[in-house]
Amino acid sequence: MTRLVRAELLKLRTTRLLLWLGLLIMALEVFVIALHVSQDSVSSLAETRNQRDVVSIAAVSALISLILGIVSSAGEFAHGTIGQTFLVAPVRVRVAAAKLLAVAVAGAVLGLVACAFAWGFGALLLWARSVPVHLAAGSSLRLIPGIAVAAAITGALGVGFGALVRRQTGAIVISLVWLLVGEPLLGVAGVERYGPGHVIASVVEAGNQSSDLLGFGAGLAVALVYVAAAGVLGGDVLRRSDIT
Amino acid sequence: MAPLEVRGLTKRFGSTTAVDNLTFAVEAGRITGFLGPNGAGKTTTLRMLLGLVHPTGGEALVDGVPYRKLGDPARTVGAVLEASSYHPNRSGRNHLRVLATAAGIPLARADETLEQVELSAVGGRRVETYSLGMRQRLSVAAALLGEPRLLVLDEPANGLDPEGIRWLRNFLRSFAGGGGTVFISSHVLAEVAQLADEVVIIHKAKLIAHEPLAALTARTAGGTIVRSPEAERLREQLAAAGVEANAADTDELRAAAAPERVGEVAASAGIVLHELRAESASLEEVFLELTGGEHDEAR
Repeated sequence: MTRLVRAELLKLRTTRLLLWLGLLIMALEVFVIALHVSQDSVSSLAETRNQRDVVSIAAVSALISLILGIVSSAGEFAHGTIGQTFLVAPVRVRVAAAKLLAVAVAGAVLGLVACAFAWGFGALLLWARSVPVHLAAGSSLRLIPGIAVAAAITGALGVGFGALVRRQTGAIVISLVWLLVGEPLLGVAGVERYGPGHVIASVVEAGNQSSDLLGFGAGLAVALVYVAAAGVLGGDVLRRSDIT
Repeated sequence: MAPLEVRGLTKRFGSTTAVDNLTFAVEAGRITGFLGPNGAGKTTTLRMLLGLVHPTGGEALVDGVPYRKLGDPARTVGAVLEASSYHPNRSGRNHLRVLATAAGIPLARADETLEQVELSAVGGRRVETYSLGMRQRLSVAAALLGEPRLLVLDEPANGLDPEGIRWLRNFLRSFAGGGGTVFISSHVLAEVAQLADEVVIIHKAKLIAHEPLAALTARTAGGTIVRSPEAERLREQLAAAGVEANAADTDELRAAAAPERVGEVAASAGIVLHELRAESASLEEVFLELTGGEHDEAR
C-alpha cells in the first residue's frame, strides 16, 4: 500500500498539474486580496476580524483541491493510463485508496501554500497602506489548519467523485453546479448546513462558526462521511469497470 | 503449467458476444501469434487475461491463477497495450518510474529498460513529443521493468515504420531466444509468419485454429511442388497413376498428392527430379481460407 501511495504522489509531482493549480490559487488570491485591501478604509482594515477576512481567500484552495482530486482519478481514464496502473496493481480498491490518500496529502500542501501566499501578500499590501498588521492573531491563524484539513478532505472527495463519474470535465461541471445551484436549494428544506460545501466551510472556519454552519467537529465528521461515501462508491465503480 | 491459459472464456457486452467459449493454452518458451480479423475478439481476450476486463464466463489464467491474484504481476508478465496510454506531459523516464514505484521495482530499472529499448537519449522528454514508434518502445520498456519471463503484446507493430518493425522483431526473437514466452496479437500476418512458432486464430469470437505454424500451413495446402527436366512426361505418369498435376512453369509441376507419392511415381518411371517439396500455403492464405476471406487489413 505504501508503494502505491508513493507512486500516486510521484504521478502528481511529474506533471504540471500541481504547478498550474498552485498558480491559479495565487492568481485568485492576488485579485481578491488586492481588491479587498484597496477598497476598504484604513480604519476598517486595521480590525483583526477584517484582516482575517482578507486572508480567508486561501480557502479557495479547498475548491482547487477538489479539482485536483477529480483530475487525478478521472484523468486516468481520459489519458488511458488506468490500464497500465491496474496492470502493476491489479487490486483496484487498493489503487483507489492510495490515490485518495496521496491527493489528500497534496491537497493539504496546496492549502498550506495558499495560506503562506495569502498571509505574505496580505501583510505586504496592508503594510503598503500603513495598516497595522494583525495576521498573527489567533482567529486568523486558526484558519490555517482548517484550510489545510479542508483541502485534504476535498482532494479525497474529488478522487472518489472522479472515479464515480470517470469523466473529468463532467465531474468538475457537476461539482460547480452543485455548489452554485444545488446546495443553496437545500436551504428550502433547512438542511443546507449538511451540504458538502457547508460542511467544508465549517472545517475551514475552525472555531469561528456562524449560525449557518455546523461546529468544527460535527462539520469534520459529516465531511468524512462524504469522503467515505464517495470513496466506497468510486472504488466500487473502479472494481467493476471493464478497462477496454 | 501453461504460462497463459483460457478455459471456456466468454465475454458479452450487452447483446454482443465479443469472445465465445474460447479455450487454449500458450506453451512456455515459444512465440505464439494471436490472429483474427478486426473485431474478432483478440483485444478483449488479452484484456481478460490481464485482468482489465471481467469475463462473463470461463476463466483466464496466468501461471495458473487469475491475473488479479498474481502476487507480483509486473515480475510475472509484461504487457504492451495501446501506444496512447500515457500522460502527455510526463516524461518517458518518469512514466517508468511511476510504474516501477507502484510495482516495488528499483527505480534504476527505468533507466535500464530505456537503454534496452534505445530510448535513453529521449527519456527526459515529455511523451507528447514522442513519435508513435518511440511510444511503442516505451510500452515495451514498461513491460520489461519487472524482468518478466512472459510478454503479452496487443498489436505492437501498429503504426511502426519499417525500422521499428525490424527492431521489434529482433527484440522479440532475442527475448524468446533467452527462454521467454511471447503471446502477440496482430493482424500483420507477415510479421507473425516471421516470428511465431504457433498461432491461435479466432474468428467471430470463436477459436478456429491452434496449431504450430508449420503444421497449419502444410495441412491447409497439402500438395507437392516438383521440378524435373522431364516435367511433361512426369505429368503423364502422374495422371496415369491417378494424380492430377498442373504445369506451374516449364520444368515445374504442382501435384495434388503428398511428396512421397509423387517421388514413387517418378522413381518407377526413371524420371530425374531436381526438386521435390510439400507445398506450403502462406500464413495469409491459410488465414483467409480459415476466416472465409474476412481480413480487410492483411499486409
